[in-house]
Amino acid sequence: MEYHHDSDMNEVGVLYKNMCIESKHNGLCTEEKGSKDSADSNKLTRIKNAYSTMLSELGEDVDREGLLLTPLRAAKAMHFFTKGYKESIADILNDAIFDENHNEMVIVKDIDLFSLCEHHMVPFFGKAHIAYLPNKKVVGLSKLARIVEIYSRRLQVQERLTKQIASAISEALEPAGVAVVIEAAHMCMVMRGVQKMNASTVTSVMLGAFNDDPQIRKEFLALTMKK
Amino acid sequence: MEHSKQTQYSSAEKKDTGDSSSVLNGHFDGKPPGAESGAHRPAASVMESWREERTRSVEDNEMSLPSLAEAYTTILRGLGEDPQRQGLLKTPWRAATAMQFFTKGYQEKIIDVLNDAIFDEDHDEMVIVKDIDMFSMCEHHLVPIFGRVHIGYLPNKRVLGLSKLARIVEIYSRRLQVQERLTKQIAVAITEALQPTGVGVVIEATHMCMVMRGVQKMNSKTVTSTMLGVFREDPKTRDEFLTLIRS
Repeated sequence: MEYHHDSDMNEVGVLYKNMCIESKHNGLCTEEKGSKDSADSNKLTRIKNAYSTMLSELGEDVDREGLLLTPLRAAKAMHFFTKGYKESIADILNDAIFDENHNEMVIVKDIDLFSLCEHHMVPFFGKAHIAYLPNKKVVGLSKLARIVEIYSRRLQVQERLTKQIASAISEALEPAGVAVVIEAAHMCMVMRGVQKMNASTVTSVMLGAFNDDPQIRKEFLALTMKK
Repeated sequence: MEHSKQTQYSSAEKKDTGDSSSVLNGHFDGKPPGAESGAHRPAASVMESWREERTRSVEDNEMSLPSLAEAYTTILRGLGEDPQRQGLLKTPWRAATAMQFFTKGYQEKIIDVLNDAIFDEDHDEMVIVKDIDMFSMCEHHLVPIFGRVHIGYLPNKRVLGLSKLARIVEIYSRRLQVQERLTKQIAVAITEALQPTGVGVVIEATHMCMVMRGVQKMNSKTVTSTMLGVFREDPKTRDEFLTLIRS
């Protein structure tokens, strides 16, 4: 059950590498990595000025007390919401992969997730459930949550986010299978537009054994999607 | 009863004389104008009452859209993203339109929404509209706030169309807000429109600025309330209101 999935893993590896290049295009500009603090604060100033313009264009009184420091706070907040661009999987994972002779499903569920819709720059948030079938290597459990953080703290599309998390785990651990399910509420749908308060979006990616074996998938779904 | 009505409306009267102790969405704390500190606002600033002027029109929206979109493009670049990639091509426009929607309360006036729907009814028992979904924007971080509003009032010969209570919530919440001020504005708007015996407004909301960043407490909720008139004076009335909104 575990070994004939190697070819699938290779495909996923290639897919992941393509996604890495895409993610460079996605915003990890090479200049960003080598940027000095002054360049960073330059950028912050530009974002801050953009927010000041925004406030006056929206019809607010920019000089009133509550709004005086808002451009700076909003710029820093936005910086925090997109901190995933500066983080890399290698940094957080390198130490925490261990050799264990365990080949049963490992699930970490109900990981709170906050991201920004790349179409409206409005938050979407929900929970991620991750499972993998180890193949001699297990990973520190919090690292799964950290992988979620890296990819979610960006301008995202929920489908891509799910796939990136699954691919990152695949590449790092080469497990027999990985499954990621994300259920989230999109404020762009709740606060504006169609305004459906209770709608939630569920996306899932099943790789390896989770894709091939319906029993394994069923077990995973039964353990995570209990209501 | 009479006394409580008078205390309620003295602050309203002061506002009507145009002393502009409060500006658009600025501090409303019901203090007499002289006591307001730092009230050096331009003469064109707005009175905080239900007869206030709009600061924005639909035409203004169209005219400011390009510069809002440009501001968003700058933000995208500043964050290290590539505004030319497929997913982000139209994002500045979408985000600008979305932000205008989130602040559409500036375009609306209470008087437009209310004028037709005040009726004379001989009803003097409590009227409650609860669980009104509310979405606002934190004025400090420009991040959403969402929650529920519960409104109760004791009519004094005049009742209001029920959906108008929800529309009042919409007008004040679709702005850059502070939850305390939002609660008070809703209560004051109802008071000025109906002159009821009492008004109570309770808002419980989640602040994304606290959940998504900063202290990052997922389950925290902020509850604010404003009680005016008999809701403030009479503990039994207040208790009845609070019990009914919990059930």
